[in-house]
Amino acid sequence: MDVGATLRGVTAILDDRVVLREVDLSVGPGLCLLRGPNGAGKTTVLRAIAGLIPLAAGSREIHGDLLALGHRPQLLRGLSAIENLTFLQRFRGVRDAPAVGPALAAWGLGVDLARPVEALSAGQRRRVALARLDTEPCAVTLLDEPFAELDDSAARMLRQAIDRTLEAGRSLLVATHGHPELDLRASAVMRIENGRVVA
Amino acid sequence: MIRRLGLVAGRELLAERRQPDGLVAAVTFIALLVLLESLVVGPVSARQPAVAGALFWIALAFAAILAATRSFDRELEDDALDAIIALPGGRDALFAGKVLALTAVLAIVGAVGGVLSLVLLDLEVALAGHLLLVTALGVLALPTVVVLDVVLALRLRARAALVPILALPVLIPQLVAATQGSASALSGDATGSLGWSALLLAFAFVYAVLGFTIVPAAIE
Repeated sequence: MDVGATLRGVTAILDDRVVLREVDLSVGPGLCLLRGPNGAGKTTVLRAIAGLIPLAAGSREIHGDLLALGHRPQLLRGLSAIENLTFLQRFRGVRDAPAVGPALAAWGLGVDLARPVEALSAGQRRRVALARLDTEPCAVTLLDEPFAELDDSAARMLRQAIDRTLEAGRSLLVATHGHPELDLRASAVMRIENGRVVA
Repeated sequence: MIRRLGLVAGRELLAERRQPDGLVAAVTFIALLVLLESLVVGPVSARQPAVAGALFWIALAFAAILAATRSFDRELEDDALDAIIALPGGRDALFAGKVLALTAVLAIVGAVGGVLSLVLLDLEVALAGHLLLVTALGVLALPTVVVLDVVLALRLRARAALVPILALPVLIPQLVAATQGSASALSGDATGSLGWSALLLAFAFVYAVLGFTIVPAAIE
């Protein structure tokens, strides 16, 4: 089956500690949720799929392009929000790329876009990072605790962005230990404990 | 690849222009070091071509380590590095872009340090063109090694101490070649300066190839 992303028998070791144990996981079209307590390995699974950590065993497979948004905004200090997002969009070589300015405005960031990102609040930086959902639409998207640091208005925008992503038939994997309302829209809910997918 | 390399280098230089921490620190460092070394060694010894060359290149090597470390520190804040390395071709472009940007920064630092050395030490330059060539190739040979070593120590807490320990032994051949090449140019030995220049070019090439081989895995 051609799914968005797959991990097969993945074991990962960081700092002499086994952080993932024989993880098998498939992310198909639609919303997949990865749940588990703090320190269970949710972020590590996402980083393994994104190719950000070495695998001690097993393999990963990605069908199509991938956008991985971590729980930190991944923005370079010294550059503005527009410069950061434009750089990433150009680097990826997105064809018919959605304009960055209007995308940021849609996330409630119409003002102060020329300021370097370190001058923005944590919540604003988070919004800038999430605007990449619109400026870099990808076949597979990974979101790590995406609701963290968001106020009610931004959380509503994120739910709308998730809806847009799902309506476009893309694959979305969200790692979170909260937001039970997402379960209703999810096509799969996985649980991880101690680095092992248990359900 | 070329397009991505240019994008990373452009982003790096834009960030450096907005927050010139690395450039200012490197220029200040090289100026102080050249001044201090010339005072410590004494005016007669410091004016000898080999000594003057060594003072300049050692100072420039430390300045390169300082600027490269600062550049990657900026990438690690807010995990900006992850955004690039998760993209296809991101690791190679990151390495090459950082090397290109550091070369530009070092060209400025080297120009300032070079002029200061010439003025403070009252040096006579027999072959100005050859000195420029050696300096340009020396500046080209340093960043590949320095960026490679910063990447190798990237996720280590003690990277500020480890980078010089990793980089300096590897840099010894480049420092010898650059020092001898500069000394040859200062003293009028055209054949010598051209020979050392060729060696510097070879070092730059070899370490660039090594960097492209090692960096993708090292970043992971």
